[in-house]
Amino acid sequence: MKIFITGATGYVGHQLALTLANNNLVHILVRNLNSPHLPRHKNIRTFAGDINDCSSIENAMQGCEQVYHTAALVKIFDKEPAAFYKINVDGTKNLLNVSLKQGVKKFVFTSTCGVLGTSVLHPKSENDPRISSFDNDYEFTKYLAENLVKDYVHKGLFTVIVALSKVYGPGIETHPISVNKVIHNFIQGKLTIIPKPGKLETNYCFIDDVVQGHILAMAKGIGGEKYILGGENISYTALFGCIRSLTNTKARLIEVPKILVQFWALLQWMRFKITHKEPFVTGKGIRQIFCNKTFCSDKAVRQLGYRLTPLREGLQQTIQFLKPQNHAQ
Amino acid sequence: MHNKKYCLITGASEGFGKALALECAARNMNLVLVALPGPELHYLADFIKRNYHVDAIAIEQDLTSEENCIAVYEFVKEMKLEVNMLINNAGLGGTMLFSEGNYSFYRKQIKLNIVATTLFTHLFLEMLKENGPSCILNVGSLGSYFYLAKKQVYGATKSFIYFFSKSLRRELKNDGISISVICPGSMNTNISVTTLLKTSGWLSRLSVMNPEQVAPIAINGLLNGKEVIIPGRLNKIFLFLNKLLPDFIKNRILSRQMKKIQSVTAIEAKQATIVMTENQNALTA
Repeated sequence: MKIFITGATGYVGHQLALTLANNNLVHILVRNLNSPHLPRHKNIRTFAGDINDCSSIENAMQGCEQVYHTAALVKIFDKEPAAFYKINVDGTKNLLNVSLKQGVKKFVFTSTCGVLGTSVLHPKSENDPRISSFDNDYEFTKYLAENLVKDYVHKGLFTVIVALSKVYGPGIETHPISVNKVIHNFIQGKLTIIPKPGKLETNYCFIDDVVQGHILAMAKGIGGEKYILGGENISYTALFGCIRSLTNTKARLIEVPKILVQFWALLQWMRFKITHKEPFVTGKGIRQIFCNKTFCSDKAVRQLGYRLTPLREGLQQTIQFLKPQNHAQ
Repeated sequence: MHNKKYCLITGASEGFGKALALECAARNMNLVLVALPGPELHYLADFIKRNYHVDAIAIEQDLTSEENCIAVYEFVKEMKLEVNMLINNAGLGGTMLFSEGNYSFYRKQIKLNIVATTLFTHLFLEMLKENGPSCILNVGSLGSYFYLAKKQVYGATKSFIYFFSKSLRRELKNDGISISVICPGSMNTNISVTTLLKTSGWLSRLSVMNPEQVAPIAINGLLNGKEVIIPGRLNKIFLFLNKLLPDFIKNRILSRQMKKIQSVTAIEAKQATIVMTENQNALTA
């Protein structure tokens, strides 16, 4: 079968393309043919183009029965907020249009649990409401894109949404502050900061589960539905405790109160105004960091047969993967 | 289930109504949530029941019809829910030149913002007296203090709510019912408003608040028996300046700020991706 994938130079799309290429012919659309992150496999055909250029999509998607749309502008802040709308909303719309026109059978859209926002007492499920407003353009544009993807079901395109939590595990490095990077720093013995109180919980999903989750959503997902592809919910303290027990790292862990991060965000903002270097944290985005963000993958387990790798096992594999890189440096 | 008091919120599935529902739930209040038919209301009620250990009952009704308002009251009575807090939040906003809008929209605005508020207050008055001490919160708008182009009908309906609340407060003083009116400025209540606010002038943009910031101020004010609740420091300054500045300066500032705000209809045409639903929420100022 011919399958079309966007975002193949991204962390998830890269692994997904390689996995699918074992049994299928995979078409990938990339902006830069010389990207160091290109997945290389004899069954992968690379097309130069952009999700904001419809003719390049049409060309690359020709003859494909399935579409995985994993491409997105993923960061907390961009100098040009319009970029989030252009890539995440308009780009998705272009892909949906071309898919509909070319008679694509199924379309899987990769979204984020960030659209569901923070949790209160219990982990959040697909239908739970947000309890606070969107505070960054990334999550807001992913929300707009999700609505678009749902709308196209009524236009006759079979679409399924998967929402990922924080992904970790062996794969390429594409994000400035990924979970992998934080783990890497910690096992290297570097000082690691976590939000105070450290008992705040977040959800971490293992890359292999997420890749399989995409394939399962394509095979068994119900049209117009959304599935959380998450992992275990665990507190910052327990997470780093687990990593410590697996590696015996001597790295120090420091709980940082909100006010300090607020101050840091202010400094970053001032630096941005002077040097135009984009901040890692923004004043608005801080609220989220100091909340529980737990999610429940039961729907995907029930309806798709999604499998969650136990966190300890996933961490073990991740640490194994990160260690050789350690020595190479 | 005995002796359980309830807070009834209209327009509770989205925006400010939803934020008020979550705020009340966090303060251990049982809720009756009324909103337009749709699954979101039930998702919210389920979420509240699971996460806050209070009761939350969802009633789907379109309150632009008087029969539906009465049906809500009948249902509450039948279920023997003892309401001691009434929040008339359901409202229909709109930013457009008078000639751009059609009459049926304005009629809907008047029915929801004025008729439903009056009718609900009338229907529940006896019940509130019986379950006293009780309180009523009506959702007005900062817009009711200013004469704004593109907000003619909306501003007028909110002025009604302001006048109605303040007058009724004097009547109900001895009945154990405290009535408050909240006049919020711009809020990010739903997608179309969020997009709309991105196009507005810097002064109005600076004063925008999130519903979850306004909700605690609203409930605090209500429980403290405040007559008029103005959330936000900047909004308070606006009101102060409004009293201070001469008309010709005020008009210049307001018209410059409003000119930048596009009509909702114009935005809809431009942003085909954004679905504008005539939701039941207070799209304030």
